[in-house]
Amino acid sequence: MEAKRFVIIGIAVTLVIAIAAPFLASSNPDGLESAFFSIYGAKPFMGSDLDEEAAAAAEEEVVAVTGNDFSHQPLMPDYSIPGMDKAGEVLAIVIGTLLMLGLVFAVAKVSARPDN
Amino acid sequence: MHIPDAFIPIGQALIYWVIALIFVALALRWARRSMGEEKVPLVAVLAAGIFAIQALNVPIPGGTSGHMVGAALAAIVLGSPYAGVFVLTLVLLVQGVIFGDGGITVMGANIINMGVIGGFIGYYGYTAVRRLISNAYAAAFIAGWASLFISAILCVVELAIAGTFPLTVGLTMMGAYHAIIGLVEGGITAIALYLIASARPDILEHPLGVGT
Repeated sequence: MEAKRFVIIGIAVTLVIAIAAPFLASSNPDGLESAFFSIYGAKPFMGSDLDEEAAAAAEEEVVAVTGNDFSHQPLMPDYSIPGMDKAGEVLAIVIGTLLMLGLVFAVAKVSARPDN
Repeated sequence: MHIPDAFIPIGQALIYWVIALIFVALALRWARRSMGEEKVPLVAVLAAGIFAIQALNVPIPGGTSGHMVGAALAAIVLGSPYAGVFVLTLVLLVQGVIFGDGGITVMGANIINMGVIGGFIGYYGYTAVRRLISNAYAAAFIAGWASLFISAILCVVELAIAGTFPLTVGLTMMGAYHAIIGLVEGGITAIALYLIASARPDILEHPLGVGT
């Protein structure tokens, strides 16, 4: 397979994953969040019942422990576009994927060993 | 396993940033010396693929989910632990800044956990296991699993130092969850390596062999 074709197929597979991700991905908290909520009493260690109120309290509690109250408003919080539903999630991940492609290409191009 | 801002005090977070930046500088030196221009499109596709697949959280028992990290895959395919650092640094930067996945002040810790540990355990785990067993895909699976599991353990130690998690309980919970999530990491690492090796064996830095 020639290099160009390999890259095109790679991008196609990546975009299929990006578009499918919002429909297939589990909405349960990830391993770190899950451990955090369990330790702070908002969720059982083995179980999916997340107590929203206790979860919000846990977030305040951890700021009190570490003193790190830095916050940053991202453009597309949690891989979504504010005001849009599922289509916004697809769009967010597709935009992120294309952004990744461009950014890494640019950084790699600048930092790579020149061929000569 | 992306640590949010609130989980680590600023002072400690800065120390992780300093350590991370040393590895980022080494990764840029690796790129200058060892990553040829012909690899640039492949690295970009690999990073985009890792970003997309990281968004695909798979359910794991206990009302939890997990996703792959991908540093081990990048390190194995490109033949250097620094390839994992290079790719994951850019992935984590976009995730943190644009999507709020992983904090900004703690990004250094996230780069260490996922990029550095992922890359080093992934790469050296793969080469070490390859010396013991002949199957490259089994070696990639084991290295992928170990890279994720050890990242999670280091993450707990950092959170215990931060005062966020009690050490023993943190290790038990994070260890249990990530022993399972590691199977996803190992599985996708092995499958992706198989697909790349089948389509373009010449792309691999060390054609399914042991790198030196």
